[in-house]
Amino acid sequence: MNNKIHIIGNAHLDPIWLWRWQEGCGEVLQTFRCAVDRIKQYKGFVFTCSSASYYKWVEEIDPELFEEIRKLVKKGKWVPVNGWWVQPDCNMPSGESFARQALYSQLYYYEKFGKICKTGYNVDSFGHNAMLPHILNNGGMRCYVMMRPGMHENAEIPENLFWWDSPDGSRVLTYRIPYSYGISGKHDIDRELPLLRERAENTGHGMMMFFGVGNHGGGPTKGDMDYITDLMDNGFEELEFSSPDDYFDEMCAKKLDLPIWSDELQHHASGCYSATSLVKQLNRKAEYWLANAEKWNTVSAKISNLPKATEEFGKAWQEVCFNQFHDIFCGCSIMEAYDDVRDSMGYAMKIAANEENKALLKIAGMIDTWLDGVSDAQSLNERHHCRNLKFPRPVIVFNPNSFEVETPVRTYHPSKKVEDSSGNSVVFQNVRSSRSNDSHLDTVFVAKVPALGYATYWLWHADSEFVEDGTVASDVSASELTLENKYLKVVFDGETGGIRSLVNKEDGAEYVGGEFCIPTVVDNTEPDTWAHNIFKFDKTIGKMSLKSIELVENGAARAVMRVKHVYGGSYLTQDFILETESKHVRVKCRVLWQEPLTILKMPVTVDGANPISTYEIPAGFIKRPCNGEEEPALTWGDITAGAEQRKGVAIISNAKYSYDCPNNTLRLTMLRNSIFADHYSDRPAADFNYCDEGLHRFEYALYPHAGEAEESGIQKIAALFNSRPVTVPAGYHKGELPREKSFISINKHNICLDSFKYCEDGSGDIVMRLRETDGKAVRVAVVCDIADAGFYADFRKLETKTFRIDSEGYVTETDYLEGVAK
Amino acid sequence: MITPYKLKSHLCRFCTFYQPEDKNVPDELKNYKNDLPNLEGFPYPLPSKKTDYTCCAKTGDIEWFGASNGLTRYDKNAEREEDIIMYFSAPRDLLDNNVKAIMPDGDNVWVLTETGATYVEMRLVGAEEKADMLLEETLKYVSRRGMVSQRYLREGRNFDSVYPYADSDNDGSFTVGFSIGEIFRYATFKREKGADHPDTLKAKEVATKAVEACLLLLHIHCRGNGFAARTYLCTDQPVPDDGLFFRIKDGKATCLETTDAKKKGYVGTVIDASAEVPERLAKLYTDLGYTKNDIIYKADTSSDEITHHFLHMLIAYDHLACDDPELGELIKSSAVGLMNHIIDHGYELHDFTGKPTSWAKWSKRYFDTEFGWVDGALNSAQVLMYLLVTMHITGEEGKWREHYDYLINEEGYADMTEKHFDRLYQASLSGDFIFVEDIMYGDHMLAVLAFFGLCTLEKDEKLLAKYRKGFKAWRTSLEREHNPGYDFPYAIACPDEEIDMERIAEWMYRTNKSRLAAGVSLKGRHDIPVKPLKMEGKEISVLLPPDERFISKYDRNPLFLTNEDSGGIMCIESCYVYTFAYWIGRYYGFFE
Repeated sequence: MNNKIHIIGNAHLDPIWLWRWQEGCGEVLQTFRCAVDRIKQYKGFVFTCSSASYYKWVEEIDPELFEEIRKLVKKGKWVPVNGWWVQPDCNMPSGESFARQALYSQLYYYEKFGKICKTGYNVDSFGHNAMLPHILNNGGMRCYVMMRPGMHENAEIPENLFWWDSPDGSRVLTYRIPYSYGISGKHDIDRELPLLRERAENTGHGMMMFFGVGNHGGGPTKGDMDYITDLMDNGFEELEFSSPDDYFDEMCAKKLDLPIWSDELQHHASGCYSATSLVKQLNRKAEYWLANAEKWNTVSAKISNLPKATEEFGKAWQEVCFNQFHDIFCGCSIMEAYDDVRDSMGYAMKIAANEENKALLKIAGMIDTWLDGVSDAQSLNERHHCRNLKFPRPVIVFNPNSFEVETPVRTYHPSKKVEDSSGNSVVFQNVRSSRSNDSHLDTVFVAKVPALGYATYWLWHADSEFVEDGTVASDVSASELTLENKYLKVVFDGETGGIRSLVNKEDGAEYVGGEFCIPTVVDNTEPDTWAHNIFKFDKTIGKMSLKSIELVENGAARAVMRVKHVYGGSYLTQDFILETESKHVRVKCRVLWQEPLTILKMPVTVDGANPISTYEIPAGFIKRPCNGEEEPALTWGDITAGAEQRKGVAIISNAKYSYDCPNNTLRLTMLRNSIFADHYSDRPAADFNYCDEGLHRFEYALYPHAGEAEESGIQKIAALFNSRPVTVPAGYHKGELPREKSFISINKHNICLDSFKYCEDGSGDIVMRLRETDGKAVRVAVVCDIADAGFYADFRKLETKTFRIDSEGYVTETDYLEGVAK
Repeated sequence: MITPYKLKSHLCRFCTFYQPEDKNVPDELKNYKNDLPNLEGFPYPLPSKKTDYTCCAKTGDIEWFGASNGLTRYDKNAEREEDIIMYFSAPRDLLDNNVKAIMPDGDNVWVLTETGATYVEMRLVGAEEKADMLLEETLKYVSRRGMVSQRYLREGRNFDSVYPYADSDNDGSFTVGFSIGEIFRYATFKREKGADHPDTLKAKEVATKAVEACLLLLHIHCRGNGFAARTYLCTDQPVPDDGLFFRIKDGKATCLETTDAKKKGYVGTVIDASAEVPERLAKLYTDLGYTKNDIIYKADTSSDEITHHFLHMLIAYDHLACDDPELGELIKSSAVGLMNHIIDHGYELHDFTGKPTSWAKWSKRYFDTEFGWVDGALNSAQVLMYLLVTMHITGEEGKWREHYDYLINEEGYADMTEKHFDRLYQASLSGDFIFVEDIMYGDHMLAVLAFFGLCTLEKDEKLLAKYRKGFKAWRTSLEREHNPGYDFPYAIACPDEEIDMERIAEWMYRTNKSRLAAGVSLKGRHDIPVKPLKMEGKEISVLLPPDERFISKYDRNPLFLTNEDSGGIMCIESCYVYTFAYWIGRYYGFFE
């Protein structure tokens, strides 16, 4: 029968949206109870439900109910789908976040139900990134159910059933729900069924009808059940209670030549990439911090007696994964929900902070920092240990990245001289601290630190009379409106505060091709929080006015131009920081925003033909047309143009996820001040709360480059921008570790280390996740002595691979599930 | 646009083995004392676990590390990354893996292991020189009546102990591979050295004999109906218990007793064998004293053989027929006979039973079956290629064109050629395998031959675009191999596609100078991640250079975790794996 309609009983559950999580949790319990009752009452009925976090709630609060569900799963009457913690936003979590979504969830399902989910299922998520097929495959899923964007939003994406390919070559069999994931009531069913039957006839394959009250849970009602079973008993033979798993199994057994889609699935709610900056910033910070902290815990536990913190990291990641739920991460929940998000992310980051600190101090304590004579009796009338004037104080700089970095780092207190462990003076600068007491100065110095390793630097206090002034000349210079170093020359416009000229000295080319860093205010009155049915934010209502521009620092390590703009009752202060030997300009922003229903965008323009915009997406990058549509991205977006000589400028950020690119201008969406949970803009008169009102602190960077973005090294610069080295002041002690050391060697620049952790099964095996970043197939050599491992691996373009290293250093290639769940 | 790659002479392994008591082994080797290597902080992955290394030695800038599971060569200055660390293991490079001592001898080393000694030399060998060495080995030890597949030895590594007979289920396919390589060798020499140069004439002789051996399989059965035999034996060699064999006697052929024949109830079945083998082809056995009555041939021929034969006839016709009209006519009549058989039997190859053989089916009725639906993408391309080749060779369209157009316009065959990846992926999903497990690696060569033929012969832009798309549907699995034998035809057929010439160079450089099928010690390597497959076995995560992986023909997953494929030190494989790729590459200008 080709026109079979698989009737999928489900309940779409938003754990947070127009309610807080406590209410969502209660609704999960009630919905699960109802579903169990329906299964018992109606022969043949199967219930489908996603989100491991919901099952965990039920297990903790109502173990009896959970046990009933467990038995139903075994009988095939209850089908868990989507081996992820929630139905997350599918554009903004990092590749590593998706790995964790799968890891903790599929292992949970495996432990509780003896099997993993084989179908991905994000029926409400507001768009799906192009790497998802690879991400789903890596998490054990080869079929996928989605709904948004609908045909009215993107008619090019195939309808019904199709193959969806990601750029690395992975593929999922994808079902696009044509109408709704929550059909309920006679009217809905009578409307949908004929349409689905028609589709089944036309396509020659079966369809799925998802029914059950959703959003706030509920699931299939008795009325729905009675009506559908009545239809089944009265001539509608093509209807059958089923699950997505069974549907896909049936489809695979047929001879189908299906359409293929090799792009992302966009757009539905384009405002969601920028709404509620708070949750975006917390997510970015937590993702990097947790990944880095776990790397250091792994290193430290391997070389010392520091306990493994795998379980703690699991708890932290589960909080982050939960907050990636689409209505949370997309910024479209109620205001109160974000108080909970702040607490939850705070818990996660506190774990990261604790574990990172323990690990780094443990390693630092093993480094030989002893200086002869340092223990001699001295009379020091000083409040701080770091004011030992006779000896330089050791500072260990830890680099969590899998590549060597050379970058300015910051420590408290001013210095007279900074040396590396070979006694070479390094570039440093005393800069204004954030404190008002003491010296008012901190030290910024340039540290060169090996991949996933550390280097020891020696800082002589500024007041020391035991050392000559160690100032080292550098390439940095500045004047009233100009910042310059070896690679870049930046000239500001004294009228607008924007950048008038940006010359890349490597190719001598001018990279300013129009409007550049002039903060632009865009009208946001019409769009709701999601920006339903609006895909471009292009109604400019003004530019911020320059209030002041001032050169505030001009030293060896860096020069800083402070530019202050105002608009209405709001201001934006930007510190444009050009560091020594840096190829990008770092911009430290402080915004106080008080303009309701507005968007603040930061444009950069490159002239030339054939402009193309490129963006980082989860576990990869994507090229998109410069059509002015609002686009999601992770840490960077880029505009590159030019008929022959291709020139590009990337904007990197540590907190933002949204850009647009009308023609040759790329604009970072810095904030978007919508009303909280403003659904389709039905706005009664009220004193609304706005989701981006208030003070924002974040950073972005400008990176001009020749050639296409993916060949420019942008991936490493963006990684370092979000994953900064950590400085740890150390004591003087003997130690078994040298003053500089790397814990990993990866010999190809386009392979990065996303995760370095202990295996979840407690075996003590180490898990290493590596990812190709530039879109080029490569063979890599990896050496990791602390794991007794060294191995080669081939990567396809944009492929992520997970390796598991046993205690003997033998390596198994696995996937996100670490070989724990089969 | 092909940019020629400059292949240089490259280091090649020459290992000579000695029993412990052999007088050629230096006495001092037995008591030679090596230092323990210090491998702390060693910058590259090592094939053995660091703690397994027990000795080290230096020859110039080269360091050698001996371990309980093999020998490692370290050249920190190596020009190519894959040459920095080389692994030598038993039985291909060593008698056994337990290295006791390494004694330098100039640039070479003596290696003492548990069971004997090995003298390891690294010599510079040019790419063409290697092709010549391999060809010489094949002609001397592997070829039998012009057919080349593999040959077994009575005594391990002793080439002179080669059995006088051999056979292979796919003699036709493998010999075609060899023959195509030799035809391109001849064509290259003819272009570069002139038609009358002794090297050219010698190459022509080798190529012609190979072509004759292949054509003979289309006639040896004496059925006179365009059938093709898999292989044939002579009565003085044992008949393998594998498949259906017929012995010809006095114009009849009788099915011999084998397990397969018994199972199917064919033992003793007598069929017609009255047709004559063309005299020129028959000379391959009559010159050795055999007659038609000494022939035993193998039936139940598959599409593999037929596809090889058609592409082979195309290339042989284009390069040899102009100087050899008699051969041209033989090719033409052979192609017509085979094509007619396929058309007359509803796009199937029918055996004596009047039913299709197990695997030679290109009919819509087969494609409509569950299994045939997946095969349809490849097999539709094959039969379309056969028709184009037949048109090309005969210089006629008529009937061939009618069938070609019918299959495209009425049965949708050209569209079907694009569906390979989709259908195979769906099958893998249905079977809950990962995609790469469902790949039939022997199909790679079939796809290459079919689409190479289609893309080089078809002039209609729309159809050509379909065929190119069809070829590209194979790229995901072809690319895993980085095999120039696949990549060159692919790049010729799809000029907009890029191939990785560095990986190809690695393949050429690191192919062994001999096809002795001695295995390696891949299992247990410390530097290669393994990946469990769902179905069975494991894959490795990195494609190793050919001299560090098992030796096979063009029909195995080179990433499969196994030490050995065919008969190990008891078997010599044909050279065609290398010569096919090298001479196509050379002829089409991929190499300077």
